[in-house]
Amino acid sequence: MTTLKKRIPLNRVEGDLEIHLEIDRDNVVTMARSVGTMYRGIENLMTGRGPLDSLVITPRICGICTTAHLCAAARALDMACQVTIPADAQRLRNTTLMVEQIQNDLRHLFLLFMPDFTRSHYAEHPLFDQAVARYQPLKGQTTLQTIQATKRLIEIVAILGGQWPHSSFMVPGGVVSVPSSGDIAQCRHILNGFRRWYEKQVLGCSLERWQAVQTWDDLQAWLDEDALHQNSELGFFLKIGQSTGMDRLGRGPDCFISAGGPDVPGSDGSTTSLVPAGVFSPQGIAALDPEKITEDVTCSFFKETPGHPFESRTLADPDTTDARKYSWAKAPRYDGKPAETGPLADLLMADNPLFVNAVRAGGTNVLIRELARMVRPAMLLPALEQCIAGMSHANAQFYTDALKPLTAKSVGLVTAPRGLLGHWVVIHDGRIANYQVVTPTTWNGSPRDREGTPGPWEQAIMGTVVKKPGDPVEVEQIVRSFDPCLVCTVHTIQVP
Amino acid sequence: MSKTLYWIQGGSCGGDTWSLMNADTPDPVELFSSFNIEVLWHHGLSVMRASDLDMLNERILSGDQPLDILCVEGSIIHGPSGSGRFDMLPSGPRKDFIYALAKQAQVVLAVGTCASFGGIGSDSEIMAGGLQFNKWEMGGLLGQSFISRAGYPVINLPGCPCHCDVMVGTLSALAVDDPVRLGHYNTPVDWYGVMVHQGCTRNEYHEYRIEEKRFGERGCLFFYMGCHGPLVTGPCNKALWNRRSSKTRVGVPCFGCTRPDFPQQYPFFETRNIEGIPIELPDGVSRAHYMAYKGMAAAAAPKRLIQRKTNI
Repeated sequence: MTTLKKRIPLNRVEGDLEIHLEIDRDNVVTMARSVGTMYRGIENLMTGRGPLDSLVITPRICGICTTAHLCAAARALDMACQVTIPADAQRLRNTTLMVEQIQNDLRHLFLLFMPDFTRSHYAEHPLFDQAVARYQPLKGQTTLQTIQATKRLIEIVAILGGQWPHSSFMVPGGVVSVPSSGDIAQCRHILNGFRRWYEKQVLGCSLERWQAVQTWDDLQAWLDEDALHQNSELGFFLKIGQSTGMDRLGRGPDCFISAGGPDVPGSDGSTTSLVPAGVFSPQGIAALDPEKITEDVTCSFFKETPGHPFESRTLADPDTTDARKYSWAKAPRYDGKPAETGPLADLLMADNPLFVNAVRAGGTNVLIRELARMVRPAMLLPALEQCIAGMSHANAQFYTDALKPLTAKSVGLVTAPRGLLGHWVVIHDGRIANYQVVTPTTWNGSPRDREGTPGPWEQAIMGTVVKKPGDPVEVEQIVRSFDPCLVCTVHTIQVP
Repeated sequence: MSKTLYWIQGGSCGGDTWSLMNADTPDPVELFSSFNIEVLWHHGLSVMRASDLDMLNERILSGDQPLDILCVEGSIIHGPSGSGRFDMLPSGPRKDFIYALAKQAQVVLAVGTCASFGGIGSDSEIMAGGLQFNKWEMGGLLGQSFISRAGYPVINLPGCPCHCDVMVGTLSALAVDDPVRLGHYNTPVDWYGVMVHQGCTRNEYHEYRIEEKRFGERGCLFFYMGCHGPLVTGPCNKALWNRRSSKTRVGVPCFGCTRPDFPQQYPFFETRNIEGIPIELPDGVSRAHYMAYKGMAAAAAPKRLIQRKTNI
């Protein structure tokens, strides 16, 4: 049996990635390895730095989820300083986090994912011309609208935090900013304008109409009932996704992990979590236990160190002779198992019936993963409105004093745009002794572990039937459906 | 007459591309279309089969495909030990490919601090460097004497990330063959001729030496909280970020991200000082004069500023 071996370099994955494939003569992918090709070594350059330096350096891990890293770093420092931040600081942090998530979800969908439908692979498809008109890079109609709408939305982060990307307005104890009532009013206006665009162009209906879709039958009925639904981005996505088989492509593992949140403070002092933190699996739902998070390096070019991020180190081992090792991504595992993370994980943890029923019935696929991303803003927008409104009262307090820590061992977990993000920090004598970052893409794009269990998108690729083995577009689309951010996956390289 | 542009990412976080997406007038779509810039390849955004990209690269390197503007985002990674193997393409270390591309380009732009000077990772195992500078020292990947085909050294557009106005403005000028006037460290004087300090809304507090030691207040952050605004150049408080604000205006100290030594080795958020006066003073200022001026400034401070009553 002849096996075709291919190395596929991918772009539009926020960094660099290679997928190594083996394809049999029936065009079935029998082996898939996910290989990062660039290493920036940010964890190691944290060692010896002042503890607040993480607030400056770690946002530079990524240019699109910069605020999420800032938040993870700040939360780890809150814990190190043993401080509880005021409710208004929580609201401000949440606001900037959610705004970044929405910006990312839509930029990923329309600038990074949908453009694959403009490839010659789909030239014969009846919706090809429309796809080109909408999503051609730097030229499409939706491309243009997305850039304009999201850059307007992200102004909220600049109003509240100075600039986007790469600000450091979150500090242990809260935030440095003191927004005026005028600032908060501007945030409200920007959000209103964005919501109108999202409802009109992306959903094609109001948020309320969308919330009424609870089953797959509801979804089909929604699509059929109105031309505005059919022609929105969501409608177009469903039509082209279903007719190209995206709903039968890319089944990943059945286990999902989420950091949950945001935790929205109410006016009565209580806090509600929009999404509970936890793990969703065939066994049910369980609370998140950070102690169960480890990173396996059996198949990674690192020397073996203890698996938990508090104890582990990043020790590059480029000259290993161990033939099992093929990637510089480490392999995060929860209780020894791989887990998918991202908007779909969040909607499952939030008990959204449309997604829970679909995933329990048939597992995941490209379509459902990206559908979750497209409608997650519908879940976030009301919470955003609540956080912004909650900040505008006379006695708003945004910061409480926190002493710089001399010794600490702490963690900050955040729901970043692509899923669970964690920063683990150990501080000795007022300097960082160890800093470990586990990003959502490290989860999703992880290599195999000591059991030989593949990572989520490796698993999703295996068994795929590709139309043209010389140009396996389907494989690329499966990987992109996870919204990979390779720059975040900071340990990754392959040394030939 | 259109210009061709190729955008490659090295040791990058992608932040300069996302900063460019925030450009307002024009936005990037408008910029490329109305200024007739043909984007041959953008690593973060383009759609092209890998084999087609290989062919494009070959044609550029052979000279068959003219390349007017090469944009490099992210650092040149030399580690481990100068081999460049921490940043690999199928053909070999990416730094070698970037070197070859630069030889073909009419103009080479270092977009962001990492491409200009090394930036994040410049003091680490990855040995990050810039295109024509490694931190303060001229040289970098292309060497001190490199001049591009159109007669420019590498044009450095530092900033972490680079401000969208800087990218849009420089590309607009190059698109119509307007000369780009370069100043210190080969940065365009249009955007790097002004101090970050100019335009900060806390300037009045700064003038009268009302200096904070605590987050969340209205005063100046220079003396105690590590602000580099008076020390470094950049458009932040003139052009503003995202049309709205800047870090220093909301109370985040400037981290000096346009400077060749960013990120500094000493801790952020605190100012190293001698007897309460910062060690690093604004360019060209004598310490003796500065101490006298700041002493008198503090003495002249009105109550409304001392009590932090004046808004910012």
